[in-house]
Amino acid sequence: MAERMRPAHARAPAGETADGAGHGAGHGNGWYPLMLSMDLEEGTVAGCTVLGRDLVVWRDAGGQAHVWDDRCPHRGMRFSLGIVRAGMLACLYHGWRFGPDGRCAHIPAHPELSPPPTLRADPLTAAERDGLVWVALGDAPAHGPATGVSAPCVPVRSLAVDAPAQEVARAIGLPAGSRAGGLDRDIDGLVLAAVLPVDRARSMLHLLVIRPAGVGTDRDRRRRVAVWGQDLRDRLEGAWAAA
Amino acid sequence: MTDLVLPDLVLHDDVLDENCYRVRLFLSLLGHRARTVAVNVVPGGAQDSPAFRAISPAGILPVLRIAGVDVCGAGAALLVLAHESGGHGSGTWLPRDPAGFAEVAHWLAFAGGPLTAAVRARRVFLFGEPGDRDGLRRQGAAALRIMEDHLALRWLDGRPWFAGDGPTVADVALFPSFALCRDWEVGHEAFPALRRWMRRMRARPGFVTMPGIPDPGLF
Ligand code: FES
Repeated sequence: MAERMRPAHARAPAGETADGAGHGAGHGNGWYPLMLSMDLEEGTVAGCTVLGRDLVVWRDAGGQAHVWDDRCPHRGMRFSLGIVRAGMLACLYHGWRFGPDGRCAHIPAHPELSPPPTLRADPLTAAERDGLVWVALGDAPAHGPATGVSAPCVPVRSLAVDAPAQEVARAIGLPAGSRAGGLDRDIDGLVLAAVLPVDRARSMLHLLVIRPAGVGTDRDRRRRVAVWGQDLRDRLEGAWAAA
Repeated sequence: MTDLVLPDLVLHDDVLDENCYRVRLFLSLLGHRARTVAVNVVPGGAQDSPAFRAISPAGILPVLRIAGVDVCGAGAALLVLAHESGGHGSGTWLPRDPAGFAEVAHWLAFAGGPLTAAVRARRVFLFGEPGDRDGLRRQGAAALRIMEDHLALRWLDGRPWFAGDGPTVADVALFPSFALCRDWEVGHEAFPALRRWMRRMRARPGFVTMPGIPDPGLF
């Protein structure tokens, strides 16, 4: 069932960890593919879970993506229910606003107050590459996320899979320890697949088609890849539930 | 949107009830105003009172009184309102072409069928109604996944709504169960296509929320 991989690339595949696959699940260093860039529209907020850690992902009006822990410093409520207001993330509960640097800049109940610099969320290291929003966990990354893909990527869809990320990665033929890479799928051409470990039992699979320069990305191709992903998910979940 | 004058529209309503919200949402999207009669379901149990049973024999909410008829249940009320809207320039809520109409019929049956697990799960989680928590939650999530798969493919076809070429009554019937699924502890993260669709729904003129659906208009 494993898909054929592209030949090795010069750059390290994204999410490649020093200790390889599966080690220290729960504290893995490296880059994690959170979501498709297209699913984070300007001025919107989303929730996301990586290795059981809840994150908020939001995009400011300038197009910049931010990833923080999903916990408001005020009373610990979920940031991911909030909204973007005036270029800041506003918590839904009492409307406190936090700027891109994480600092609280506005408290509606005390608009005259300028909040102390210690009142802040801690931004994580985020990046956007190859049509995906990434976050770096653990040690500061030496380089940005890299998928080994060097052509534009066109999003297809993301799928929730009730199976561990390493099972999903193995089924699509990613090398051990890697969370993203190009798959050569015959008639569908090159597909970028990225796997996010949500927790020990669940993952997200992001699929994009890779468009070589000058070649259009037809609808049928993306449709086929979407349906393939759906079949793969159903097979994996069936096998995992039976195990 | 023009405010249609439908005299004597009465909605027997429970603010916390998902099915009542279906009809409130559609009324608002259509620009209708109904006189509401509050039915105290939790904790009053008024849906079982003789007075309410005289209007809704099975004790079903909501009840929409329209054209002198008491229409019981969200599915029926949505259909009647969609039909009513047809001749007033907003006919896309109920497509008249055979394929569009067939798609709407399919998703209305889904909303009144498999998706009722979501409605029941919410009642069990929020109001302590008896029921199989885990089973209903699983069935409800499975129904949402069917919706997610459908919309993911539709989006690739450049048709971001459930049926036809624009928003229809099918979208209104399906929307509340996704918007409220956090009430029964299913997050939105696993459903990116439904999240895209939800943002589109929220941007419609006349959109209204209910308790449990964040209202950015508040600040
Ligand atoms: S909990 Fe976030 S503003 Fe109060």
